[in-house]
Amino acid sequence: MSFNYILGQLVNGIKLGSIYAIIAIGYSMVYGILRLINFAHGDLLTVGVYTMLVLMGFSGLPIWLVILAGCIVSVMVGMTMERLVYRPLRGSGEETTLISSLAVSVFLQNLISIIFTPQKKAFHLPDFLTVNYSFGPISLSTINILTLISIVVILIALTLLLKKTKIGMAMRACSDNLAASQLMGIKINNVVVVAFVIGSGLAALTGLMLAGEYKTIEPLMGFVPGLKAFCAAVLGGIGSLNGAVLGGFIIGIAEVLFAGLMPSDITPYRDAFIFFLLIVVLLVKPNGILGSSEGGRS
Amino acid sequence: MKYRDNAAVRFVCFVLLPLIILIYSALNRGHYYSDLICLFGINLILAASLNLVNGFSGMFSMGHAAFMAVGAYTSALLTISETQKARISGLPEWFQKFTLPFPLALICAGLVAAALALLIGFPVLRLKSHYLSVATLGLIVIVRAFLDNEDQFTNGARGITGLPSYSTIFTVFLTGLILLYVMYRLIRCSSYGRGLIAMRDDDVAAQTLGVRLVTKKISIFCLSAFAAGIGGALWGHLQTVISGQFFYFTDSFNVVEMSIIGGMYSLSGGIVGALVMTFLPEILAPLETGIMIGGIQLPELYGASNLIMAVLLILLIIFRRQGILGDSEIIVESIFSKSTYTGIFKAETYRNLADITKAKLAGLTGKSKKQETK
Amino acid sequence: MKKAIVSVLLTAALLTSGMSVMAEEDTIKIGALFNLTGGQASIDTPSYQGFKLKADEINAAGGINGRMIEVVSYDGKTDQATCANNAKKMIDVDNCVVISGFSDSNYALAAGAITQEKQVPFVITGATLPDLCEQIGDYSFMIPFGDDTCAYAAAEYAYAELGTKCYLLIDQSMEFTKTLAECFQERFEELGGEIVATDNYMNGDPDFSAQIDKFTNNDGGAEFMFFSGVPDDAGPLVLQYRDKGVELPIVSGDGFDTPLIAEVAGDQAHDVYVSTHCSYTNEAENIQNFVAAYTEAYGTAPENAFAGLGYDAMDLIGQALATVEDPTDTAAIKDAIEATTEFKGVTGTISYTADSHKPDKTASILELSDGEFHFVTEE
Repeated sequence: MSFNYILGQLVNGIKLGSIYAIIAIGYSMVYGILRLINFAHGDLLTVGVYTMLVLMGFSGLPIWLVILAGCIVSVMVGMTMERLVYRPLRGSGEETTLISSLAVSVFLQNLISIIFTPQKKAFHLPDFLTVNYSFGPISLSTINILTLISIVVILIALTLLLKKTKIGMAMRACSDNLAASQLMGIKINNVVVVAFVIGSGLAALTGLMLAGEYKTIEPLMGFVPGLKAFCAAVLGGIGSLNGAVLGGFIIGIAEVLFAGLMPSDITPYRDAFIFFLLIVVLLVKPNGILGSSEGGRS
Repeated sequence: MKYRDNAAVRFVCFVLLPLIILIYSALNRGHYYSDLICLFGINLILAASLNLVNGFSGMFSMGHAAFMAVGAYTSALLTISETQKARISGLPEWFQKFTLPFPLALICAGLVAAALALLIGFPVLRLKSHYLSVATLGLIVIVRAFLDNEDQFTNGARGITGLPSYSTIFTVFLTGLILLYVMYRLIRCSSYGRGLIAMRDDDVAAQTLGVRLVTKKISIFCLSAFAAGIGGALWGHLQTVISGQFFYFTDSFNVVEMSIIGGMYSLSGGIVGALVMTFLPEILAPLETGIMIGGIQLPELYGASNLIMAVLLILLIIFRRQGILGDSEIIVESIFSKSTYTGIFKAETYRNLADITKAKLAGLTGKSKKQETK
Repeated sequence: MKKAIVSVLLTAALLTSGMSVMAEEDTIKIGALFNLTGGQASIDTPSYQGFKLKADEINAAGGINGRMIEVVSYDGKTDQATCANNAKKMIDVDNCVVISGFSDSNYALAAGAITQEKQVPFVITGATLPDLCEQIGDYSFMIPFGDDTCAYAAAEYAYAELGTKCYLLIDQSMEFTKTLAECFQERFEELGGEIVATDNYMNGDPDFSAQIDKFTNNDGGAEFMFFSGVPDDAGPLVLQYRDKGVELPIVSGDGFDTPLIAEVAGDQAHDVYVSTHCSYTNEAENIQNFVAAYTEAYGTAPENAFAGLGYDAMDLIGQALATVEDPTDTAAIKDAIEATTEFKGVTGTISYTADSHKPDKTASILELSDGEFHFVTEE
């Protein structure tokens, strides 16, 4: 087992982790404010990707326009979801909203299946996005590098948004205490909509990266990454952006290293190991690795 | 006074009518409708037992599929024939010929599931709300990985076939009735149950009053798992075929949906939730097969019933957050309280019934008269 | 006014009930059990479409002895309880005389327990567990060959043409992939071949980078690779191994012959060999007719071999029904299906005997080149 081998596997883990990380950021934003576990978040990714697939069918559209349109559709679906389902339910128990998000997820999955058939479809990005660069044992494609860069950009942008702007301050206030923020005159609806817009937009972007990396898409493709990203968000400390990214990378790397280093009769226990890890971390740090302890609300 | 408080009405709605339906379907054993009612009975056990944890103790578990799986596999291994066991490589020799009668196998199934709950309960129940949900989802993944990969005990992804079809209307509903009775006495008629509900409403206050939180949480979690294990075993004996892929997220979500729809703050809520989630998809299914409605041929649209289910579910949650029954215990109470049965022999009950009807009728005609004058 | 409405409703009800009675006398009802939504949908839907296509063709040609076929289908939702309920509903409520369907043995076993108990013939379209019919009972029939035939053919071809050292990758979460791999290993080692490395993944994982690096780090001198996976994973698997520079020949079993491989992997999809039910590029007339009819009906070429299997299932049922005097007598239908000899279908020739309800079919070996599967040999 050479150093190069482990390094190569580590890079594989980082690639996978970067995808979990971006989805986890979106999860964390919404959860931080509403305490809503949005199972349909992964399906927004699917919505975005299928929009892009349709638009790519029209040759001549520049790729940035296709991506932008995918994000816009995903954002619109996210906002509609918030307006029609989650807003009427605001203030009810966590369980209720969780179940309604499951229902939304089922709805989106079946709708996409009906429109586009349940078959897997090929998804090709323009060639310049899939060029491979090799550095010794490491090989990265343009899309991998863009993913990593965009994580940094997104983290900085969101941190600035949260710390420096008025809406960001409002978001942090809501995250601390929703009821008190409302009393202080913060328009909660606006804050929630902004969180959903950011989350859904990011989901569509991740969809692009996921589809670009694996070149296939299907109606159920968002669910498992969504669930893993949720675990990542919980592991890192839900509500914390840095935590979400950290959690994403930890889960991605742990998955790949487990499959890469363990003997092959243990590797089928990969997913079980991830959840086991999660439970252990939560027992040691009940609020996740970077999570702050929750005050009055739980 | 309302209809729902009247002993005769309660007797007819919750005892006599169900009994007639059950006896009728028990006579048509193996028929589609009869087996659907069996499935309802199993779902009822699962949903009511989930309510013990989610509704009465204030924790939120999503791991019911794991306990169902453990129960189903335990009971399967204890009841299948020698030829079926020969397919599974790693069973010790003495076990090859070892079978238990069904009731004992059921109890074992429940006990093994409860043991699993005890094992993971100590660490996991320290977590709160959504963290507990994630941990219990993780439990499903872990159990599934075990079932799929430990071929020598579980026959791996191939699953176990040839389970004896012990699940009949009689066995399912008798088991259900016993479990419901135990749960009902425990939750509604004992200091244990009151302590539990106190813990749900305010754990700190409950603790100062002497409620032992850890013991309460773990014991109720185990009890719920016990019932889920039995439910899973009954499910296995109804389908006669089990494998790991049938005890996964969807199945857990399904039970959670039942519990939320019916109302998770009462056992009766579980019954209503199971009723809705068992029969509604069956009613909606023909819609997507392209039937004729009013002379118009609808196109085939598979997946449409799932869409409608999802929308109905969302609407229901929005307009009745606490579920259909909320925290009303009307069904279970009517079945188990003496007054239902003594009430039907009292003349007063019928006088009362007549009074309500008169009042209602008067209300009706009064209203319509008003409308006419308008 | 009220009376008028009531009487209109009553007449309507009477008319519809009368019509449905008439309809029941005229048609032969056949149950099509498939998972049309959920994880199994991508392989079950083509089967269902092939099945329906043949039923429509039979009806267009005047039905069976003057009676029309009515295909009754409910979505199994990739959920075992729903599948079992649907089987019961088709038999008890819709009075179907034959049930057909399923591409996965777990679901076929669940439904088979019911059809066997109710003594209704169950024609399995795509599930390939070798002892499936023995496990279910004498009312079940398989349209495809068993995994053993498929895997043996692959092993023999690979041993003769590709090499003696094999790398084996298994989808660990499915019954089908595990059985296929076991059968392959058994025959390959019997022939004198050697499995030099094994690895596995779980159904639905999109990422194989860890397995690939592990393999390239220590390939044990493998000369070719056997992938035991479901059709949905075919494209990503081939693509990712090729992307990482693994150029060894790839061998796999039935279902892997999906056009998705070529669509996804493009030029990199070379040296892929599949042991499967049929080849849609085969020049035989019946196969080309099927491909043309399917393409016309659904606007897409048959997605995978399961489409042809569904088509053959309906065809075989239709031919058996034509020989039965009373098409409500399920025991007679079972005997008629059992008497099938030399049935020429899209996916090969089927004969049943009283002892074996699993056809002794041959497996076609196809090679993927220039984006299309080409027929190589039959084993």
